[in-house]
Amino acid sequence: MTTPPRTLAEALRARDDESLAGLLRARPDLLTPVPGDITQLATRAGTRASVVRALEHLDRFALQTAEALAVAPDPAPYETLLGLLTGDGRDDGEYRGDADAAIGDALPAALTTLREQALVWGEDDRLRLVRTARELLAPSPQYPSPTGLGPTVAEATAGMSPGRLQDILATAGLPATHDPVSAVTSLSALFTDRARMGELLDTAPAEALSVLDRLVWGPPYGEVTPNPTPPVKWLRDRGLLLPVSTRTVVLPREAALHLRAGRAHRVPEPQPPAVEAVANRDPQAVDSAAAGQAFLAVTTVEELLKSWNGGGPAILRAGGLSVRELKKTATTLDVSEPVAAFWVELAYAAGLLASDAEADERYAPTPAYDDWAELPAQDRWVRLATAWLAATRTPGLVGGQDAKGRALSALGPDLDRSAAPEVRHRVLALLASLDPGTAPAPETVLARLRWERPLRGASASAGDTTDLRSRIALWTLNESELLGITGRGALAAHTRALLDSGPAEAAALLAPLIPEPLDHVLLQADLTAVAPGPLERPLADMLSALADIESKGGATVYRFTPGSVRRALDAGQSAADLHAFLAAHSRTPVPQPLSYLIDDVARRHGHLRIGAASSYVRCDDEAVLNELLADRRSATLRLRRLAPTALAAQVDPASLLEGLREMGYAPAAESAEGDVLITRAGARRTPPRTAPVPVPEGPPVPDATLLGAAVRAIRAGDTAATVARKDNGTTDAPAASSGSLPRTTSAETLATVQAAAMTGSALWIGYVNADGAASQRVIAPVRVEGGFVTAYDHTADEVRTYPLHRITGVAELADDATP
Amino acid sequence: MTGPLIVQSDKTLLLEVDHDQADACRRAIAPFAELERAPEHIHTYRLTPLGLWNARAAGHDAEQVVDALVQYSRYPVPHALLVDIAETMARYGRLTLSKHPVHGLVLTSTDRPVLEEILRSKKVQPLVGARIDPDTVAVHPSERGQIKQTLLKLGWPAEDLAGYVDGEAHPIELAEDGWALRPYQKQAVEGFWHGGSGVVVLPCGAGKTLVGAGAMAQAKATTLILVTNTVSARQWKHELVKRTSLTEDEIGEYSGTRKEIRPVTIATYQVLTTRRKGIYPHLELFDSRDWGLVIYDEVHLLPAPVFKFTADLQARRRLGLTATLVREDGRESDVFSLIGPKRFDAPWKEIEAQGYIAPADCVEVRVNLTDSERLAYATAETEEKYRFCATTATKRKVTEALVRKHRGEQTLVIGQYIDQLDELGEHLNAPVIKGETSNAQREKLFDAFREGELSVLVVSKVANFSIDLPEATVAIQVSGTFGSRQEEAQRLGRVLRPKADGHEARFYSVVARDTIDQDFAAHRQRFLAEQGYAYRIVDADELLTDN
Repeated sequence: MTTPPRTLAEALRARDDESLAGLLRARPDLLTPVPGDITQLATRAGTRASVVRALEHLDRFALQTAEALAVAPDPAPYETLLGLLTGDGRDDGEYRGDADAAIGDALPAALTTLREQALVWGEDDRLRLVRTARELLAPSPQYPSPTGLGPTVAEATAGMSPGRLQDILATAGLPATHDPVSAVTSLSALFTDRARMGELLDTAPAEALSVLDRLVWGPPYGEVTPNPTPPVKWLRDRGLLLPVSTRTVVLPREAALHLRAGRAHRVPEPQPPAVEAVANRDPQAVDSAAAGQAFLAVTTVEELLKSWNGGGPAILRAGGLSVRELKKTATTLDVSEPVAAFWVELAYAAGLLASDAEADERYAPTPAYDDWAELPAQDRWVRLATAWLAATRTPGLVGGQDAKGRALSALGPDLDRSAAPEVRHRVLALLASLDPGTAPAPETVLARLRWERPLRGASASAGDTTDLRSRIALWTLNESELLGITGRGALAAHTRALLDSGPAEAAALLAPLIPEPLDHVLLQADLTAVAPGPLERPLADMLSALADIESKGGATVYRFTPGSVRRALDAGQSAADLHAFLAAHSRTPVPQPLSYLIDDVARRHGHLRIGAASSYVRCDDEAVLNELLADRRSATLRLRRLAPTALAAQVDPASLLEGLREMGYAPAAESAEGDVLITRAGARRTPPRTAPVPVPEGPPVPDATLLGAAVRAIRAGDTAATVARKDNGTTDAPAASSGSLPRTTSAETLATVQAAAMTGSALWIGYVNADGAASQRVIAPVRVEGGFVTAYDHTADEVRTYPLHRITGVAELADDATP
Repeated sequence: MTGPLIVQSDKTLLLEVDHDQADACRRAIAPFAELERAPEHIHTYRLTPLGLWNARAAGHDAEQVVDALVQYSRYPVPHALLVDIAETMARYGRLTLSKHPVHGLVLTSTDRPVLEEILRSKKVQPLVGARIDPDTVAVHPSERGQIKQTLLKLGWPAEDLAGYVDGEAHPIELAEDGWALRPYQKQAVEGFWHGGSGVVVLPCGAGKTLVGAGAMAQAKATTLILVTNTVSARQWKHELVKRTSLTEDEIGEYSGTRKEIRPVTIATYQVLTTRRKGIYPHLELFDSRDWGLVIYDEVHLLPAPVFKFTADLQARRRLGLTATLVREDGRESDVFSLIGPKRFDAPWKEIEAQGYIAPADCVEVRVNLTDSERLAYATAETEEKYRFCATTATKRKVTEALVRKHRGEQTLVIGQYIDQLDELGEHLNAPVIKGETSNAQREKLFDAFREGELSVLVVSKVANFSIDLPEATVAIQVSGTFGSRQEEAQRLGRVLRPKADGHEARFYSVVARDTIDQDFAAHRQRFLAEQGYAYRIVDADELLTDN
């Protein structure tokens, strides 16, 4: 028989190696850095950050158990804990036999979990919650406990006067005690004694009971007025409500537990909520639906990147795609914007697209895309799916706003959520735990996930799906369907393989379900071509150059238009190539209108030719041009015959003239209108210019306005500098010495300015402006507020506002000097 | 490779015609999918909310639709599409219009929030009366059509269970002596009668008049027939006298010239929509008798005021007849809510294959503008451009050549511009029928043409509708109303009546190359190309040298 452990460290020391390894596995943060000894391990396991982390990883029942322990006496025997979870067996009108039995069954496992995670230690008769956990879970006014219980009588009466305590005892019908400690014990004993408490409550007025009803399941705090209503007063006098502050009262824990029939939680949840199926589908149908979607995913990503082949959209300065670009992409892919954001993010997460890091940054496919595009469809899907599983980026956030109210853009920063991969795995693991073909109802999946990983402090209400983890879970379900992870809501066999076995197995399962690429299309007389399935790559590339895509899906409908045929011709195909191509790949004869269309477009294609030339040579005599072309000296002019009487040259007109003159010709230059340009020497002119203004000695003679302003300024400055000032009482103030800036303390400044504003008298101030230039001004303050003084400035002759902190000092003007 | 159907994510269905199961599949999807294109190899159907509600109205449910798609689909059907179908179809029938013994016409809902939602709409509020109980609200009987139309626009189509009035009984029998309704005509009549009201879509020349006569024989009640113009009114009368037990005296004509109201009255849209001092004086025709059946000929041309009045006729059986539900004004949904859903349609080619309409060879003849014409075209004002290229002199030469080529065959030359037609008439030595030609003169010329005394007739667009030209085997279109698809279909219909000698009909469209005439022609032909009528394109030069 070993002695029971006295500390967590002792308890840990007593555990075997395997159990310690289990602890470290469950709480890997304890391992960094590796603790030196068990004491250090225990200390670290008790740190706040680590305990918070451990609590956040508990399922709901384990957490409820911990919460119950936190409101139980420390240490608590197993029976007390069980009692807190099941209640003390009093009949409260609901039958809970099944639930209680379930709690009894589940509690040992929950305790094992808590023990293993070193959150609880001690034998069953002395269960102890780690102190940090207790502090975290125990109720306090700032953080009400998830149990909705308040502090104990002892805690709540800690600051109460002994006299007040005795009053409460007397009103509650208890004998007086000698000291506060025994008074608290006596009151607690009353509250925990079911029979006596019942009697006490029987005497309570009905309104008082309804007040208790409001507080019993928490939050236990209530606001009161200084003169409370009679029922509140009745409760307060008996200690059933204890004051927390002048305006707040609290229902003490013991009283609340009595009212709750001893239960710490309104709804203990010993069992995980069941995941309900909306449908049980044929697993084969599920697989084929998922495979169809998987194929669509692969083709969509390919289509996206193909459309960005020649340089994608520009990157916003803050990073990411602009709303407009996303809209454009959505239109290209023929999907909604959130779905478009998903595909873009998927391609990004799979490393298939990135910034090109040029000066004007754009998105573009990466070299990895080219490798990816060469893979068979199933391997391409596996690449996408694995990238998606591990990605922390959450496209579901796109279009929302971050905490600072900035819009979150696709591919932009701040889309990473570290919880995403874990939630994704949980969702898929949950789906995998169902029978093949079972499509679960999303809300039950969310409820189950919330049970497995409850949010600490969050409300347990089932319909609440606004927290991040629930949103990620919902997104996961949606994205799974888009990506072909699931088919019609149920997990596909290839995904199971991907999760359990590995990429190769998943690809092998998926491969037979993906349609084989075809090598033919059906051409129709309404100028459409239908590919009744996916096409071989070269065929698809050529067709999409030659025709516009009208409808996508399992099949592709192409439409030939003059524009699309011209595009193909521009790409270097000849009409004969196109005819041959269509004949080779069509199952049916090429319809006459289509052949005609191609010929018709080809007939006009390239009819007009465009090129660039720097200058030209024109001559009515063809023989001269022949001669010119034959002359070897003309080679540098790079002449090319456009017509019998015209040559194009790749040098500028001046060099061409020069060159031809050197060759002994007498060319004349032509204007754009065809007139001969007459060149004359010295004909160069500047644009219109005015003659220079003479520079007289000394400054220019000022005009009347300037003079007037100058005089006024001088006058005002003079007033400022020379007025006699009242003695402000501080003999050492330099204010007396005229000419220098007055200096006063800020308090004096404020007082003087305020006084001046009241009397309406003028002041002489020293002022430093924003550039640091000091000046003296005479002002008549009008208003002083908010650190600013608004005043009529005699120096500037207008009303101005000065920040008080910039005023270095003030001095009153002598009365007779007031301007 | 299984399944003839490919379900596209954009809600189109591609049906491979040559597949073994194609026929079965077509039957399975026809009730809910609209046939959009029917070229030679792959037919395109489209799923629309209207089509799905149509199917619900005809008694199909979402499960059947999904089953049909899943059963015949070659590739997995996108899940989102299936969900969408179920959701769309579930919207139908949450609201029903029915007769209440006490309160008259009422709108009832099985889904209270939907009722709340629609009652909150400003458009619905003026149409409904007192709330009878939480799920029922009274509707003024005269707003029956209006509310159906409004609810459809709100996306909650109401099921109309209020039934029909029988109208004034009048004995009408089909006089099937030496002829009988064709199988598809019978199906069309049955489809219509079973559904109560609705539209029958049949190609031109497939005998829509007989479907109307069949429906009348079923109704055995006074009938109001609305047609596009007087000529077509006469033809209806002629046909009804010939094919039914009705006599001349029982059939009245209500047109610009005559105002007869008889047990069976044939009225023109034009007279109904004549407006004097802001009112439509002739709309009272609708109330002048207790009509048991209203037939709308060429329903795709139904003018807006008639729509408005039809809204008030919801208690009477309504039959719409048309060759195409394509409306250039896009008001197909009004046809659905006011006249009724599509009750029957058959692809043109299918009826052609059964031999009821003549096979047609459609040829587009491309003519070149002369150099001086090209210059003039390039400098013409935008609004004059079409007129200019459509009436190029080269077309005249080509038309003459074509008429020569088909000498002895009954030939129609159809055009838009009177100057051009007059000129052609002069050169071809053929009479011209245009707007100013009197009705008497028209009928005289038509008779002469029918009897074979005349072999070439030049007609303006007055001939677009309902002229029965039994032996016209060649039609030459020299210009048209810009890009109107249904005009092209109507004009082709002129030559599709089956020929006595089983001769192939020819339809020529003469088009100026590299002009907007060519663009318009492409647009016009699209509907027919989608119905499987492929155009051959030949160069005018080839044609002229051949001759």
